[in-house]
Amino acid sequence: MKWPRAGKLLAVLTAPVALSSVLLQSPHARVHAAADRVTFNRQIAPILYSHCSSCHHPGGAGPFSLLTYADARRWGAVIENVTQSRFMPPWLPEPGYGNFADDRHLPDEDLRLIKEWVTAGMPEGDPADAPKPPVYSTDWALGPPDLVLKVPLPMQVPPSGTDLFRNFILPVPITQTKYVRAIEIKPGAPRVVHHANIIIDRTASLRRQHPNDWQKGIPGMEVMFDSGDTFDPDSSFLFWKPDTPALIEPEGMPWRLDPGNDLVLNMHLKPTGKPETVQATVGLYFTDKPPVAHPMLLELEDDAALNIPAGDPHFVVEDHLKLPVSVDVLGVYPHAHYLGKRLEGYAILPSGEKKWLILIPNWDIDRQSVYRYKSPIFLPKSSVIYMRYTYDNSTANIRNPNSPPIRVRAGNRSVDEMGHLWLQVLPRPIPNSDEDPRLLLEQAWMEDRLSKDPDDETALYNLASVKMSESDFASATDLYRRILTGDTEDTRTLTALGTALDKEGDWQKAESEYQKALISDPQYADAQFDLAQLYFKHNNDADAEQEFRRLVVENPKDAAAHNGLGAVLLATNRPTEAQSEFQAAVSLDPDSFDALYNLASIEASDNNFPQAIDLLQRALKQKNDADAHQLLGSIYIQSGRLGDALQQFKAVQELRPQDPLPHRQLAQLYDQVGQLNDAIRELDAALALEPGNADDWNNLGVLQARAGNTAAARKDFEHALTLDPQHAAARANLARL
Amino acid sequence: MFLHGYNRILSTQNVMRRCSGAVLFLVGFLTAAEVCGAYGLQAPFGYTLNGQPVSVLAYPDTKAVVLFFAATDCPICNRYIPEIQSLENKYAAQHVVFWYVYPNVGETAAGVRQHEHDFGVEQHVLLDPHHQLVDFVHARITPEVAVLVPAQSAAEPFRVFYHGRIDNRYIQIGLQRPSPTRFDLDQAIEDVLQHRPVQPADGPPVGCGIIGQQ
Repeated sequence: MKWPRAGKLLAVLTAPVALSSVLLQSPHARVHAAADRVTFNRQIAPILYSHCSSCHHPGGAGPFSLLTYADARRWGAVIENVTQSRFMPPWLPEPGYGNFADDRHLPDEDLRLIKEWVTAGMPEGDPADAPKPPVYSTDWALGPPDLVLKVPLPMQVPPSGTDLFRNFILPVPITQTKYVRAIEIKPGAPRVVHHANIIIDRTASLRRQHPNDWQKGIPGMEVMFDSGDTFDPDSSFLFWKPDTPALIEPEGMPWRLDPGNDLVLNMHLKPTGKPETVQATVGLYFTDKPPVAHPMLLELEDDAALNIPAGDPHFVVEDHLKLPVSVDVLGVYPHAHYLGKRLEGYAILPSGEKKWLILIPNWDIDRQSVYRYKSPIFLPKSSVIYMRYTYDNSTANIRNPNSPPIRVRAGNRSVDEMGHLWLQVLPRPIPNSDEDPRLLLEQAWMEDRLSKDPDDETALYNLASVKMSESDFASATDLYRRILTGDTEDTRTLTALGTALDKEGDWQKAESEYQKALISDPQYADAQFDLAQLYFKHNNDADAEQEFRRLVVENPKDAAAHNGLGAVLLATNRPTEAQSEFQAAVSLDPDSFDALYNLASIEASDNNFPQAIDLLQRALKQKNDADAHQLLGSIYIQSGRLGDALQQFKAVQELRPQDPLPHRQLAQLYDQVGQLNDAIRELDAALALEPGNADDWNNLGVLQARAGNTAAARKDFEHALTLDPQHAAARANLARL
Repeated sequence: MFLHGYNRILSTQNVMRRCSGAVLFLVGFLTAAEVCGAYGLQAPFGYTLNGQPVSVLAYPDTKAVVLFFAATDCPICNRYIPEIQSLENKYAAQHVVFWYVYPNVGETAAGVRQHEHDFGVEQHVLLDPHHQLVDFVHARITPEVAVLVPAQSAAEPFRVFYHGRIDNRYIQIGLQRPSPTRFDLDQAIEDVLQHRPVQPADGPPVGCGIIGQQ
């Protein structure tokens, strides 16, 4: 009991000493001290305006405003507390382990100034020093959006209880593909919405899984989506947190939005104490320019290894991925739930050098974020990316959602755990190759997943998709069959297997897989369509027609089904009926190349050239297709527009450089417009590709003769006759020389 | 170690000492009570939103009075309102009266009315601009609570049986449990009603410092 008394006595003794030392200071020193005094106007306001007020302003996401001196004084003690503890501003990455844009880490010097200011009684200072407070608008930051989407039904957030995680589905009412250069989210009740992720649901799969109640939003921290049958990896982090005014994609990297896609707004909501209503709106900003660079999202994880014993304070989960191509890392999104403690992401380069991607020493899901690098981090081919996450499932972890702790595995509820390290990478082109480097990344990623879990159906399916893209149909078939050993009823895999078998050339087996899929789900449109196509391809027009007709009845808005039915009708000499199906397809999907082309061919055969030309021009905007150029060229010839025709055949020739036919057609056209030398050059080119064509030699002879080159003409006719002694025209021409 | 007990009330003396003019600590320790000592408490205890003095905190049959120190602009305080409302409902039949006490200088009747409109109208609300109640129970934080028992004497109208946090959800600002594991206020009311010794909380209240004259 003596020590406390001694302590008190000491305090009494030292106080007068401190006082006298102030009194003994010279007047000059005191003036100097006054000038250095920390004031709101001089030092504190600039800190608040640059680090705090983007959330802390009237109507902002912060619980109170920090724009005025009165505000700062009211909350001075809180500001000191939360900055000293580094709870605010929210910034989890350790400085020096990744150079991030929009770094909100407050420098130590600012912390010192805040503490000094509060200790000094929070003086206001000279109004002349006061910086102008920033102005925040409730309008859209980038001006009126091109498209505004609103969550269908408002959600009532109860006053209390645990945090809520809800996935709101936003159907996108577009009829043509759009490229999105920026989005802005208005959460509706900014103080309730902690953060939000937008996911592009390419197949509206979540809405289809919840046909009756999707408007209310689907609960869950994470959701699985069906990304469709084609290789189409996600490219961008669409992550929103309260101070994110707008998400602007880098130049040249807009993301694609197709008709039929849904946006899913995954929101983390926090009760505030009173009932709140949340109904978010999303503003989309489009660009006409398609992407010129194609980033890709990669994920490291080992959810299967997430099996954390109750009470374990130090459970480690690791994953790594060797890069098959060189990449530039643009951003990183580490994610765990409430047991996550220390999150590390780094790469080991082929040189052995360790490059940190991110280090979060004290994970807090409430302050999670996507982090974008100030400048991309280059990782050469064969670098290995590592994820190493540490979890604390003991009672010492205050955030532990289970009390007492229980064994925790991976899952999407807040009492489950996660361990994901997402990276946005921009792969560099593969030297001397046209191959899409994203395919190699996808392959490496999926093979890595399969090395951890050989029965990972998503990985098997995605790897099969890669093999399909590489035209390796045999491997794809094997992979689909591996999935089907586990779940023979999966209609989608059965259909995909059918497609792979068809591509392999085994169309009877393909037919059988499609039929199995349709036994499992008679309404499954993809299997119906593929089966109908298969029948059509193998001249079984009657069955093809039957399948397409069923498809059209069940899916009246399916443009491809109408187009398929039209094709069968056309092939079976019912052009009028075919025409109306193609017209239906075009009105449902004005960008459908196939429907536009097919309709144009009917219009052309009816000699409706202007309509045919218009349709083909529209088709060619969708796809630079040789057949469409060819047809358009032929129509131009019949319309007497030889110059325009010439352009079309040149385009055909560029698309089919190994095909002598476009050269032949060009030669004919040049001849017709009197450009004899050009005509000769084109025929020479055709003959270089197909030297054994007697007709071409004969035609070349005619052109040479007309150009006055009798000797050359003679040689050409003789060459034609050598190739085909029965060539009557060549013989007659030779006689006429 | 946290010292706990009730304060004797020197009701006839007009003693209005303060620990300090402005209480700016975010985290108040119960031991601080010993430094401040005991204070007198006399009517009025504060003012209604109509500006009328509040001279009665408890009715003749009141078994306990709970003071909930609140601020309209404190987010942690607001998040606790449903919890307080639920306790109020739980103990209404057992004659426990809850008072919402708004002690902050700068808090206005109009502001509190708007807050009530947003968060739910309360029967017993008062403004404590002179910190009568704050000083009596040594409150430092919003949200903070005290459990008082009417002592049936003019000299000692109330005894304080508990003051401090509502539960252990918050450890500090930015560090909180998903849900509390100790329900200190609930337990204290229960103990008072059952005439059991009241257990002190094992941690401080967390929230926003009570604002006095600056």
